[in-house]
Amino acid sequence: MSVLRPLDKLPGLNTATVLLVGADDALLQRLADSMLKTDCASELRVHLARSLPLPSNVNRPRVDLLVFVINLHSKYSLQSVEKSLHHVDASFFLGKACFLATGAGRENLCSVHRNTIVRLARTYRSPVLFCDLEVEGSRAAMAQRLARMLQISAGHVPGVSAMSLLSLLRSSESPSLEDL
Amino acid sequence: MESQPEKRAAAEPADSGGEGGAGGLPQVAGGRSEDRVTLLLRLRAQIKQQLVEYKSMVDANEEKTPEQIMQENQIEDKIEELENEIEEVKIAYEMKSIALNRIQRSTALQNNLEKIDAKNSEFMDNMKQILKLNKLIIRSQKESRSLERKRLEIKKKRLDLKKASESKLLEIQTEKNKQKDDLDSMENSDKIKTIRQNLQMEINITTVIQHVFQNLILGSKTNWAEDSALKEIVLQLEKNLTRI
Repeated sequence: MSVLRPLDKLPGLNTATVLLVGADDALLQRLADSMLKTDCASELRVHLARSLPLPSNVNRPRVDLLVFVINLHSKYSLQSVEKSLHHVDASFFLGKACFLATGAGRENLCSVHRNTIVRLARTYRSPVLFCDLEVEGSRAAMAQRLARMLQISAGHVPGVSAMSLLSLLRSSESPSLEDL
Repeated sequence: MESQPEKRAAAEPADSGGEGGAGGLPQVAGGRSEDRVTLLLRLRAQIKQQLVEYKSMVDANEEKTPEQIMQENQIEDKIEELENEIEEVKIAYEMKSIALNRIQRSTALQNNLEKIDAKNSEFMDNMKQILKLNKLIIRSQKESRSLERKRLEIKKKRLDLKKASESKLLEIQTEKNKQKDDLDSMENSDKIKTIRQNLQMEINITTVIQHVFQNLILGSKTNWAEDSALKEIVLQLEKNLTRI
C-alpha cells in the first residue's frame, strides 16, 4: 500500500497499535520500551518505522495512532518526516496522528526551531507534544500520555473519540505565531 | 523503501480495575467468572465505540465533497468553520447532559424528600449555602451591570464634549481664515489703489513745490544760514516726503 489509511482494516480485539515514525532508531526504540512498560488495560502493539511508505509485503494490523517523532537536533529527521507525510491518508489527521518533538531543552544543539514544528503541526491540524526522550522521567511520562491517546484513538474508551480528543488538544492560537 | 524493524510485544496486562489475571483474549485458563464478566463488558464497550467510529466515517463519506480546487486560505477558513462547528456541538451536548443531570437529581431529591430529616442534615446546610451564594451572585451581577451602565454614560458624555470642542475649534479656524481673506481682499481692492495713486501724486507735487521754494531761496543769494527762520524753512524743505 502506498498510502496509509486509518480504517481500512478491522480492529483487533482489545489491541491497539501505534506506529512511531522517525529517523532516529535509538530514540524510537527507547520510547517503544517505555510505552510497553506502561500499565494499560488493552494490549499495546508498537511498530517502528524510519519512514513511510511501509513495504506492503508484511501483514500488519490497522494503525490506530501515528506518531511522528522529530529530533530538534537534526534537520534530517524533520526532512524525512516531511517526506513521509505525503504517504499518509488525510483522514489520519482527524485525531489519529500527532507530532512529537524531542530535544527542545538543549538550545545550543537545536538546529530546528521549535516554531517550525509548531507551524507544521498547525498546518496539519494535529497536536504537537514536546518532551525529552533522553531523560527517563520525561520519556516515561510521555509514554503514558501516548498510551492514553492510543487507547482513545483505538476506540477503547467509551464516550471519547479521537476527534473529540483532537478538539480538546487544540491549543489556543497566540497572535504572534499567527503572523509567522 | 526503507527497512522497517518491526516489533511486536504484548503488554503485560494491567492489574488495574480489578481485572487481575485476564489475558488479552478471553481465553482465560481458570479465571474467575467476575473477571470474565468485567472483561466482556469492557470488550463490549470497546466494540460499541469502534462501531460508532466506523458508522460516523461511513456517514461522513456519504457527504459530497466539493470537487473544485479551492484556494489555500479558503480551505483554511473552511477548516476553521468546521472545527468551530464541532466545538459548538460538543458544548451543546455538554450543556444538555448537565441539564439532564440536574433534572435527574432534582427528581431523585423530590422522591426522597420524606426520608430526609429536615432539621439537622448536611443537605439543608448545603441548600442554605447555595441560596446564600446565589443571592450574592445576583447582587454582584446587578452591581456590575449598573457600574457598566454608568461607565457607558460617562463615555457618551465624553464623546459629546469632544465633538462639541471639535466643532468650536473648527468655527474658530473658519473665522480666522475669513478675517485673513477679508484683509487680503481689502489690500487689493480698487479703492485703495486709487487712494494710493492720489497719495503718490500729491507727494510728487509737494516735492516739486519744495524743490521750487528751495531753489527760490538759494537763487536769491541770501545767506540763509544766518537767519534762523530761513534756516528752519530750508531744513524743513529737505525732508523727504516719501518717508511719511
